[in-house]
Amino acid sequence: MAEDIKPIQEVLHHVCNDLLKKHNVLATGIGYKTSAGQKSPNLSIICSVEKKLPKAQLSSKDLVPQQVDGVTTDVVESGRIRALNAHLLRHRPAPGGVSIGHRDITAGTLGCIVKKNGQRVILSNNHVLANSNAAQIGDAILQPGPHDGGKFPDDHIANLLEFIPISLSGGIDLPSDCPIGNSFASVLNLFAAATGSRTRLQAVRIQAEDNLVDAAIAKPLNDSDVSDDILDIGAIAGMTQGLLGMTIQKSGRTTEYTTGTIDQVDVTVNVQYGGGQIGRFTDQLLAGPMSQGGDSGSAVLDNDKNLVGLLFAGSDTTTIINRMENVFSALGLSL
Amino acid sequence: MSMTIQQAKEKHQAELMALPGVVSIGIGLSPEGKETIIIGLDGKHPATAEKLPKKLEGYKVVSQTTGTIKAQ
Repeated sequence: MAEDIKPIQEVLHHVCNDLLKKHNVLATGIGYKTSAGQKSPNLSIICSVEKKLPKAQLSSKDLVPQQVDGVTTDVVESGRIRALNAHLLRHRPAPGGVSIGHRDITAGTLGCIVKKNGQRVILSNNHVLANSNAAQIGDAILQPGPHDGGKFPDDHIANLLEFIPISLSGGIDLPSDCPIGNSFASVLNLFAAATGSRTRLQAVRIQAEDNLVDAAIAKPLNDSDVSDDILDIGAIAGMTQGLLGMTIQKSGRTTEYTTGTIDQVDVTVNVQYGGGQIGRFTDQLLAGPMSQGGDSGSAVLDNDKNLVGLLFAGSDTTTIINRMENVFSALGLSL
Repeated sequence: MSMTIQQAKEKHQAELMALPGVVSIGIGLSPEGKETIIIGLDGKHPATAEKLPKKLEGYKVVSQTTGTIKAQ
């Protein structure tokens, strides 16, 4: 016959606030105490701590007493307790909206499943699946992305199939802030001088072409490893053109489900890619803040679940979105 | 007006994007619902703000601070 839990619940009810005030205690509950790897038959009050510390490192007020009101206690190490974000976890089949990434990046978002030559493929950004032009076709894609614990080969879900190269420039306003670019130009200029060439390379102001999309696709190792749904949104209804004032929604790795409004169309924008590199994009959609780092690659849909765009950049006050029709035509995709 | 707002933006965007601090140019709506050319700045740039036109080919121009726009 199980021990009556009621009196212990009453004790816990009285003491839990005091216990939770102690440094390190994250949770209190009732369970069977574990001593020397064996569960004892008696119920006790269990305090979960992020990390167990030697008594010497704790002040007396932070020590969990051996007993409270006649009930034994136990201290267990739980690690940090966080709200569970399903978008960061491993999913098979993996839907849109979850963490994904090339094996050499941190993590971005799996946008959605689309078709290339009749085969189902994963759609996301070049800078998520192809490491901003640095990847080779066939490289391993992990779900979740490396930053979220994705490991090769256990979490290898797909191989990079194709990407649209992003044209990047060194930046007009950052001529001398780029030591690598400058030294590289110096070396080349040495060669130019040695060969008598009159054309000297300058690290300053390398003119890049305008971009329309930051997009790439990856082929799943197994067709059954991916889902046509988008987490928190569901099935995609179709595709439509993004219009000024349209209400939109997305599901992403970091900020999960968010909504916004298309505030600007026909947007020409300079986007920072790190290391002083800038990509200029034209024909973009601009919405208010609805994303953060790691949400790149999210599919953007209207209220009727029609695909509108592919999220790839933003600031504290804006979100920048490729038009999905430009993504589909650049990569030859269909639904 | 002889030019569409898209044409007006296209015609002037190269010179505007070259101004220090300008990170974006797009077409949005004013609070009254009129199509407007919106210029995004990455921070405070008084010298640039002074140079921005109030109108382009008859279309209203406004600026707003977007902050630095980064790949996410």
